[in-house]
Amino acid sequence: MKLLKIVQVVVLAAAFLPQTLLASSGAVHPPAQEWGFKGAFGKFDNAAIKRGAQIAVEVCMACHSFKYIKFDSLRQFGFTEAKIIEMADSQGRTKNDKMISSMDGPTAKESFGTVPPDLSLMTKARKGYEDYTYGILAGYLNDAELSLVEKVMEDDEVSKTEALELAASLHVDPQNPEHIKQILNRINNGDNFNKYFPGYFLAMPAPLSDGAVEYADGTESSLKQMAHDVTSFMAWTAEPTLMERKALGFKVILFLVVFTIMLYAVKRRIWAKAH
Amino acid sequence: MSKLMEWVDARIPVSDMIKSQATEYPTPKNLNYWWNFGSLALFILIVMIVTGLFLAMHYKPDADTAFDIVEHIMRDVNYGWLLRYLHANGATFFFIVIYVHILRGMYYGSYRAPREILWWIGIIIFLMMMGTGFLGYVLPWGQMSYWGAAVITNLMTAIPLIGEDLVIWIWGGFSVGDATLNRFFVLHFLLPLVIFALVIVHMWALHAVHSNNPDGIDIVDEAKDTLPFHPYFTIKDLYGIGVLLIIYCWFVFFAPNAFLEPDNYIPANPMQTPAHIVPEWYFLPFYAILRSIDFLGAFSKLAGVIAMIGAICILFILPFLDRSPVRSFRYRPMSKSLFWIFVVNSIMLGWVGYNPADATTFGGALPLIILGRTGTAIYFGYFVMLWVITALKIEKPLPVPKSL
Repeated sequence: MKLLKIVQVVVLAAAFLPQTLLASSGAVHPPAQEWGFKGAFGKFDNAAIKRGAQIAVEVCMACHSFKYIKFDSLRQFGFTEAKIIEMADSQGRTKNDKMISSMDGPTAKESFGTVPPDLSLMTKARKGYEDYTYGILAGYLNDAELSLVEKVMEDDEVSKTEALELAASLHVDPQNPEHIKQILNRINNGDNFNKYFPGYFLAMPAPLSDGAVEYADGTESSLKQMAHDVTSFMAWTAEPTLMERKALGFKVILFLVVFTIMLYAVKRRIWAKAH
Repeated sequence: MSKLMEWVDARIPVSDMIKSQATEYPTPKNLNYWWNFGSLALFILIVMIVTGLFLAMHYKPDADTAFDIVEHIMRDVNYGWLLRYLHANGATFFFIVIYVHILRGMYYGSYRAPREILWWIGIIIFLMMMGTGFLGYVLPWGQMSYWGAAVITNLMTAIPLIGEDLVIWIWGGFSVGDATLNRFFVLHFLLPLVIFALVIVHMWALHAVHSNNPDGIDIVDEAKDTLPFHPYFTIKDLYGIGVLLIIYCWFVFFAPNAFLEPDNYIPANPMQTPAHIVPEWYFLPFYAILRSIDFLGAFSKLAGVIAMIGAICILFILPFLDRSPVRSFRYRPMSKSLFWIFVVNSIMLGWVGYNPADATTFGGALPLIILGRTGTAIYFGYFVMLWVITALKIEKPLPVPKSL
């Protein structure tokens, strides 16, 4: 009996432990952020989505599309019709068109070497979900980090202390100065380094920086604020039915719990006769 | 009303059938909750067929548009998101329920005489479920759909002589493409109906030999040992369905993507292989067995495929491997220990299958491939050991009760 107990504990442990046991492999996990729409009680933050939509149209859509979303659907976040028409017009579209960037695929490929992915589903399509999107947007090197890179590479050598200094902000292995040097050389050559992109280098140059847009609602447009807002917007484009789903879910689960308790009571009653 | 039933019964004995096979059908009174999983499986099968039918009314198997069509279902079709999430998570819960159902049969000796044919039909249903699950996963035409289909169909090339031609015939072209998607959709629609028919045969066989029970002994006195199916087991099964629905719906409404790979929200791209291709979770132990055979050079692939298929097909001979005079592991201490090792080992294999083939654990000290090979040996070892301890009478069963 004791053996059985032990085995059962192991089964349970085996079901939950694996992910903690496995040595981290490959890309750096972006740190977890606070998202109001997560969890059973989570709700979309309409003000954040509205600000995010502004960034999406003014910044992201220079290259990227949101092909499953109509401009006119943005109205639910409080944009006026005139504003919607203006936003659509900025991409050469009308308000009933899908949010397709005015830049076409071949042009983008010529400039960036790759066709920018559609962003409608981005927060569902990467491991790390919203944290990943946020991590990428806020994960480019800031001015201080860039000048540190420049300083280190002045003598074309990466010393031990420099390696340690860089390791923290670049998420690289401090024990491998050769690898760090390769990375720094590519940064100096103008390649786009990102702390959270698997393999570090991606085609997209840093899209956002402090003050890149002027928010219509007067919110201060820091990099973190913008990364948060545009990720909130993308969470909505990825799953516009999220609120409807959760609202229905509460009713369904509540009904099922009450109904199942009743079934259990009836079951006990019926089985009482059997003994 | 009773006049009408008399008229019908004179022509087809419906009332008799309902009485003898459902309402008054004698059922062992000591069945525990593990016996709920058969009715749970039937319930989910019906949910899958109904949601699948409605999804099929909106879906089109076209490689150029399939991905967009799924998003159209998610966004524009009324309650389309609910249909799709019920269907996608339904597959997960179907397999959870079926795995418990199979393990219950293994633990209580439900495969033993006279239930061998009942057991075999069950295994065939399980194999067809795996085929249906695989085909269905291809339909959203995301990256994992495409590359999962490519990896699995490519296994056919391991078959000597005809493999290369066979895989082209299955693809309907020289790679996974539009023709493949179209035929996979047709087969994904057909197979569940075949499964449904087999489930009826499964129940026919069950009702011929009657349910096993936790003590694994035969019914001696029907009046004392059994209860009529209705109301005792109808209510117990309904209660089980209620509990299942709470858990299932919790995932559908609050964590619908928990079992889905993020990569499948990227449209299929034949030019770009994902960094790490994983099948759906319910294939993972078998995927680990497939990959664990990597030490036979040119024969590794074929041997891996044989091991993977063998891992399921060995269940067919389980009734003949187990020679114990006692059915239920409740009274078989050694078999019971072997069983739990088998369960833990299968979960471990699943974890190995989830991770990349070259991954390591314990800080790089233990390559997962070693765990995979060990796990494969233990998996097949279960069946060997079960034969050894029962055929050579090494296991001394505990005394079995005379009646329920």
